[in-house]
Amino acid sequence: MNDSISDGISAEAAAAPKTDGWEPKIVAFCCNWCSYGGADSAGMGRFQQPASARIIRVMCSGRIDPLHVFNAFLEGADAVLVTGCHIGDCHYVNGNDKTKIKYKYLENVAHELGIEKERLQLNWISASEGEKFANFIRDVTEQIKKLGPSPLKPAGVV
Amino acid sequence: MQKGEMYVGWSTKEDVRKRGGSGGLVTSMLAAALEKKMVDAVVVLKKINEFEAVPVITSDVNEVLNSAGSLHSVPSNFAKLIANKNLKVALPAKGCDVRGIIEQSKRNAINLDNTFVVGLNCGGSMHPVVTREMLEVMYKIKPEDVHGEEIEKGKLIFETKDGKEHAITIDELEEKGYGRRESCRYCTIKIPNNADIACGNWGVTGDLVGKATFVEINSEKGARLLQNAIDAGYVQVQKPDEKGVAIRAKIKGTMEGLGKKWKDKVFVPMDNGRLEYFRKELEHCIDCGACKAVCPTCSCGDISKCTEFHYRGDAYKMSMYHLVRFLHLADSCIGCGQCSDVCPVDIPLTRLYRRFANTVQEQLKYEPGMDQRKPPYFEAKLEV
Ligand SMILES: Cc1cc2nc3c(=O)[nH]c(=O)nc-3n(C[C@H](O)[C@H](O)[C@H](O)COP(=O)(O)OP(=O)(O)OC[C@H]3O[C@@H](n4cnc5c(N)ncnc54)[C@H](O)[C@@H]3O)c2cc1C
Ligand code: SF4
Ligand code: SF4
Ligand code: SF4
Ligand code: FES
Repeated sequence: MNDSISDGISAEAAAAPKTDGWEPKIVAFCCNWCSYGGADSAGMGRFQQPASARIIRVMCSGRIDPLHVFNAFLEGADAVLVTGCHIGDCHYVNGNDKTKIKYKYLENVAHELGIEKERLQLNWISASEGEKFANFIRDVTEQIKKLGPSPLKPAGVV
Repeated sequence: MQKGEMYVGWSTKEDVRKRGGSGGLVTSMLAAALEKKMVDAVVVLKKINEFEAVPVITSDVNEVLNSAGSLHSVPSNFAKLIANKNLKVALPAKGCDVRGIIEQSKRNAINLDNTFVVGLNCGGSMHPVVTREMLEVMYKIKPEDVHGEEIEKGKLIFETKDGKEHAITIDELEEKGYGRRESCRYCTIKIPNNADIACGNWGVTGDLVGKATFVEINSEKGARLLQNAIDAGYVQVQKPDEKGVAIRAKIKGTMEGLGKKWKDKVFVPMDNGRLEYFRKELEHCIDCGACKAVCPTCSCGDISKCTEFHYRGDAYKMSMYHLVRFLHLADSCIGCGQCSDVCPVDIPLTRLYRRFANTVQEQLKYEPGMDQRKPPYFEAKLEV
């Protein structure tokens, strides 16, 4: 585990068992207008966060097809985050209402399939909520470290 | 005649009445619709032998009249057969056929205004290959010697060419892994009130047993269909007796209860190792695509998400094809069993697909194929 990461871990998280140096890969889908802005402010505000997140920017959370999520898992993501504007704030009127529907299906399929609930999460984060974004990534990273690598990770992928 | 009314009826053509599953009413109603040009075509099963038949779309009244009789080991599904053909058609339909037809109509592949759906009560159907094996193993008779088959008082009876009858209870057969297809055991639409008219032998009493069909009119189209057959002189009907109505309702309730019990038996909750279970089951999939081709609720055609984003050479731990289908069918799977029936490597697909469908449909309070409600996936806002 490299230093810049351990610096950012809360006391509670630091007490958790460490999977010697293993850093999970977290794919975070962010919408252009809110949660991507949140990710940006997390960086600008210098909130500490692990380097585990791979951010994929989409114009609206409503653009996130369940297929994208499956693909991330099949390619080796240890967790996938679906994020967007708060309900009512979507810049395309109701894109995130549709996200909620798709997510309901995704969540159920993932759960039935046996993918732990920590590995797929939904969160609404506005452009100004940099700290919320950073905390979210940090929390998920810790949860996944406890779980270990995803069972869907292809052989040979770390 | 109108919605909600019930009758007991039979064919006026002696040979059709004799050959019919119970009185030949369905056959005669279909033939009359064709004859009087209510429809341009009718779908019927063309018999190959005691266990096999192919569905055909025909405009020949005689071919319709010849099709009388129930084939319990022909688990076909007619929904896709009439999809995208823009037909003015009448057809017999088990519960799962009806549900497929309704789902295809939601996807604009079938126009219900031009489709007369004659529902058949259905206690279940059997797989033809399994039936042959069952005859040899359980009944100790050669499939070729079978002359006829019927279900009576919970027993499946085969008649051989030498005139002898061979009976075994369905419970015993199913205990040994034979009998009805697994999906039929937990299917809970026994009387298809989602069709224009529901026909079956439950509720037929006294002297008429085996010689008449009990019908319930479910729609204005259903009423027209029956009235036309009466006017054309093809069928005769009378009011059912109260006892019959009560018996029919009771059997329906019992069968639905049994279906629920089977559901709990087949879908035992799994805690750990679910992913491994699905991986193991799908391990031998050869990507033939047959399960999608037969699926009566899918209307994507050749180019579809499940196939276009699936690459056989990937090193993925789970098939993208099946993942996409698990999700797409979560709200739309009607549990018809077609996918399991056709899989060349015998993957129990319906059992896998229903795992996802059971939870999602329960949560969303959505029952595909029962009414016109669109799949929740296409709603702008989720109400439940
Ligand atoms: C698989 C199956 C199970 C059934 N189970 C019950 C039951 O448990 N209780 C009950 O009350 N009634 C049941 N029925 C209905 C019953 O057997 C008669 O079909 C019904 O009473 C109508 O009788 P009929 O003489 O008017 O039909 P017929 O005049 O004999 O016409 C039957 C029509 O059904 C078509 N058909 C035959 N086999 C199939 C098939 N496998 N799939 C689709 N269409 C088919 C024929 O092509 C024909 O057009 C079942 C029917 C089937 C096909
Ligand atoms: S799934 Fe239901 S309606 Fe279809 S053949 Fe089986 S029991 Fe009949
Ligand atoms: S997935 Fe299988 S059981 Fe479900 S509707 Fe399609 S063919 Fe029928
Ligand atoms: S029918 Fe069987 S082998 Fe063919 S694609 Fe479906 S699961 Fe695979
Ligand atoms: S624009 Fe952010 S969720 Fe639609």
